[in-house]
Amino acid sequence: MNPTGAPLFHLEAVEHHYAGRRVLAVAHLRIAPGTIVGLMGPNGSGKSTLLRLLGFLETPSRGRILFKGRPAAPFDPRIRGKVTLLPQDPYLMNRSVADNVAYGLKLRGGREKTEPRVQEALAAVGLAPERFARRPWYALSGGEAQRVALAARLVLEPQVLLMDEPTASVDAESAERIRQAALTARARWGTTLIVASHDWSWLFEVCDEVWHLFAGEVFPTGTRTFFPGPWEPGPEGRWRRRLADGQHLAALPGKNPAAAAVIDSRNLMLSRTPVPEAGLTILAGTVLRLALIRRSAKVVATLAVGELTLTAILDPEALKAQTLIPGDPIHVAYRAEDLRWVDSPGAD
Amino acid sequence: MEFIFEGILQAFVLLWGADAETLSAVTATVKVSSASMAVSLVLGLPLGFWLGYHRFPGKRAVRTLVDTLLSLPTVLVGLIVYALISQRGPLGPMGLLFTLPGIAVGQAILALPVVVALTATAVESMDRQLSVTLRSLGADRRQLLLSTLWEARFGILAAAVTAYGRVMTEVGISMMVGGNIKWHTRTMTTAIALETNKGMFAMGVALGLVLLAIAFAVNISVSFLRRHAR
Repeated sequence: MNPTGAPLFHLEAVEHHYAGRRVLAVAHLRIAPGTIVGLMGPNGSGKSTLLRLLGFLETPSRGRILFKGRPAAPFDPRIRGKVTLLPQDPYLMNRSVADNVAYGLKLRGGREKTEPRVQEALAAVGLAPERFARRPWYALSGGEAQRVALAARLVLEPQVLLMDEPTASVDAESAERIRQAALTARARWGTTLIVASHDWSWLFEVCDEVWHLFAGEVFPTGTRTFFPGPWEPGPEGRWRRRLADGQHLAALPGKNPAAAAVIDSRNLMLSRTPVPEAGLTILAGTVLRLALIRRSAKVVATLAVGELTLTAILDPEALKAQTLIPGDPIHVAYRAEDLRWVDSPGAD
Repeated sequence: MEFIFEGILQAFVLLWGADAETLSAVTATVKVSSASMAVSLVLGLPLGFWLGYHRFPGKRAVRTLVDTLLSLPTVLVGLIVYALISQRGPLGPMGLLFTLPGIAVGQAILALPVVVALTATAVESMDRQLSVTLRSLGADRRQLLLSTLWEARFGILAAAVTAYGRVMTEVGISMMVGGNIKWHTRTMTTAIALETNKGMFAMGVALGLVLLAIAFAVNISVSFLRRHAR
């Protein structure tokens, strides 16, 4: 916490619209200083919009965002150069690598020497200053450009570093450098990191909190699986959703057949052989990935069922007992009562 | 045909001998076009940035208006400026009629839509991530404007050169507002028109060559800047 005791970010009843369509709705959200927050969710779920709002690059259509307890807006001197966003496709200005990295420092003015700091920032992202500093912006690979863009932000010693899929289009070495550089920033300056990513090693090994976004709604804490619509009336007065492979999801009837249903991943039960039981919906699928959630020492399993990807949370002991490995066939069971309807703003 | 060749020959004699009347027209043109370009760039660059950068209701209408003004007839600008600064006009007391500053006002009006429209296009065509990047790195509004214009500098240079070409070569405004007064408001283009009317080709050709040389020099410097900026 900062001296005022307020959270770093506090979102109150925030909504954001593009062309009249609601793309993000956050009732209430707090981010403590120094945390690493991971944002996960499908494309178009509102991750980038949330990052732009947290970066004060846009003003929410409704509600307000407090920074250290006070409302802030774009161009606010309190956030300029202190809250910084690394976009997914960063733009490098038409100048040398060193000038790109030094840009933010020069905007600040002051008398501090830029050159040593630029060199330090380049070294932090694994680019040797003597080889890269004088290179023009067009003589870089995609991964190098991403690292230069990150160096341009790190040189500011930011309080908040927002990263939009920082490792989506770079090779493994660049991805690791980017991850290490961001973590070093947190260790050195207490930088709060907020990362939208599909990179599991970010989300489950590094983050203090992982938030799910789906159709513009934020689900803080916990791992969830989403079953998108459209739903249709099925047997026993339930709704059902046909998957591409002919299997059916089942749900208790809701209001909007186009809406998505969400289930806490802890409520997904896995077994090698189906165990029929009244009220259980059982689906056949394949294990895709297994990853350790460092903080809870649980294992998150990603499963392919029809065209959907499901995430289930397992105890390591249970995993050992079943000796699951990626590629194994698996059965997933859940109770329709455990599903909750998401009032999907993006579904209209 | 002979008179044409004679004219060209005499033109070189005039230029070589730095003929005072020819130089006076060249000086008047350079002065007045520099002043009008300065005014149109100072006003046009921020306006063009604003038009290209921001989204607002009615933007399309404003763009259409600016694009229409690109083909503003010079005689119409001459007429309007004449009406405004003539003795009976609202700006009459400023005494701008038949002066170089008077011509510069008209030419600035002529160049302004060119600068605004081409700057707006250059800014619009920039990567959308540029603004996110500049603001993420701590740019305030003024720094955002300046850095965006700097990133769009090639497009803006093209805007300036196009506007300069239009200003240098116009006759209507210089004739109507300046009055084509010898040693005073006679520019290269009005001199060419007058001399040709009088059947005096030599000075017309000489001034035409100077106009061409200036256009050539401007374009050479632009492509030099382009090459060395990378």
